[in-house]
Amino acid sequence: MWMYSKKLQYPVKIKNPNPAMAKIIMTQLGGPDGETGAAMRYLHQRYSCPYGEVTGILTDVGTEELGHMEMISAIVYQLTRRLCMDEIKQSGFDSYFVDHTTGIYPVSAAGIPFTMDYLASKGDIITDLHEDLAAEQKARTTYDNILRLSDDPDVKDAIRFLREREIVHYQRFGEALRITQDNLDCKNFYAFNPEFDIRQARALEKSRK
Amino acid sequence: MNEREVLLKRVQICDFALADTALFLDTHPENQMALDFYKKYLEMRKAAADAYTSRFGPLVHSDYDGGPRWNWVDNPWPWQNEEA
Repeated sequence: MWMYSKKLQYPVKIKNPNPAMAKIIMTQLGGPDGETGAAMRYLHQRYSCPYGEVTGILTDVGTEELGHMEMISAIVYQLTRRLCMDEIKQSGFDSYFVDHTTGIYPVSAAGIPFTMDYLASKGDIITDLHEDLAAEQKARTTYDNILRLSDDPDVKDAIRFLREREIVHYQRFGEALRITQDNLDCKNFYAFNPEFDIRQARALEKSRK
Repeated sequence: MNEREVLLKRVQICDFALADTALFLDTHPENQMALDFYKKYLEMRKAAADAYTSRFGPLVHSDYDGGPRWNWVDNPWPWQNEEA
C-alpha cells in the first residue's frame, strides 16, 4: 500500500503567476510523456515481473513518479493563483479555465485529457524495460523543451530537478535490463518469456545453481 | 526561508538521499558502501524528522503526538507556497 508524506520531494516556490506557462507545464501531468503516465506504467508493469531487483526498481521509481505528479501539480497551482480575468483571456488560459477554472485536471499542453493509451504493460520484461528506457528519455526531452520555453528561475529550478531524475531513472532501468538478461539464456534472450513461461524460467534458474 | 522551511528542508534532503540510494540498492543489493550510506542517512533522517514534527506537526499520520487535536489537517499543505 502507499502512505502519504506531507511534503514535496523537492521544494516548489513560485512567486509570479504565469497561466501560459502553467498550460505548457501541465503536459507533464496529463500529457503523453508526463508523470501520471510514468507512475501508471511502472506500477502496473511490476506485478508479473519475475526478478526481485527489477520489481523493486519498478515499485520505487513508480512511487517517486507519484511524488513528481504532486510537484507538477504544485507548479501549475502556484502559476495560476490570483489571476484576473484579463490575464486569463490574454494568456490563452481561457480554454482551460472554462472547463476547470484553476483546478488541477491532467491534460496535455494541447488540452487532450490524460489517457492510458500513453503507456503499455506488455507482460514481457525485456519489452517493458525498453518502453521504460524510452519513456524516461521522452520525459527528459519534454523537460528540456520546458526549460527552453521558461525564463522564470523559480520554475526552472524545480524543472531541472525533475529533468535530472529522468536521467537517474534511465540509468537504473538500464541496470534492470542487464540484470534481466543475466537471468536469461545468454545465447537467446527471447527463447522464452520469463513472465509467462515460468516452468522454463525456473528450470534455467535451477540448472545454474 | 522561515524556520519551518529550514527544518523541512533537512528532512527533504535526507529523504532524497534515501530515495536515490534505494534506487541504486535495488539494482546493487549487495553494495556495502551504498548500504552504509543508507544507514547513515537513516539516522540523520530520524533526527531531522523529530526536530520538524515536534514543532510543526506530523509528516505522516503515525507522527501523531497524542495531543487533543488532529493537526494533520492544518495548513500549509505541501503545494501551498506561504510567501506568495
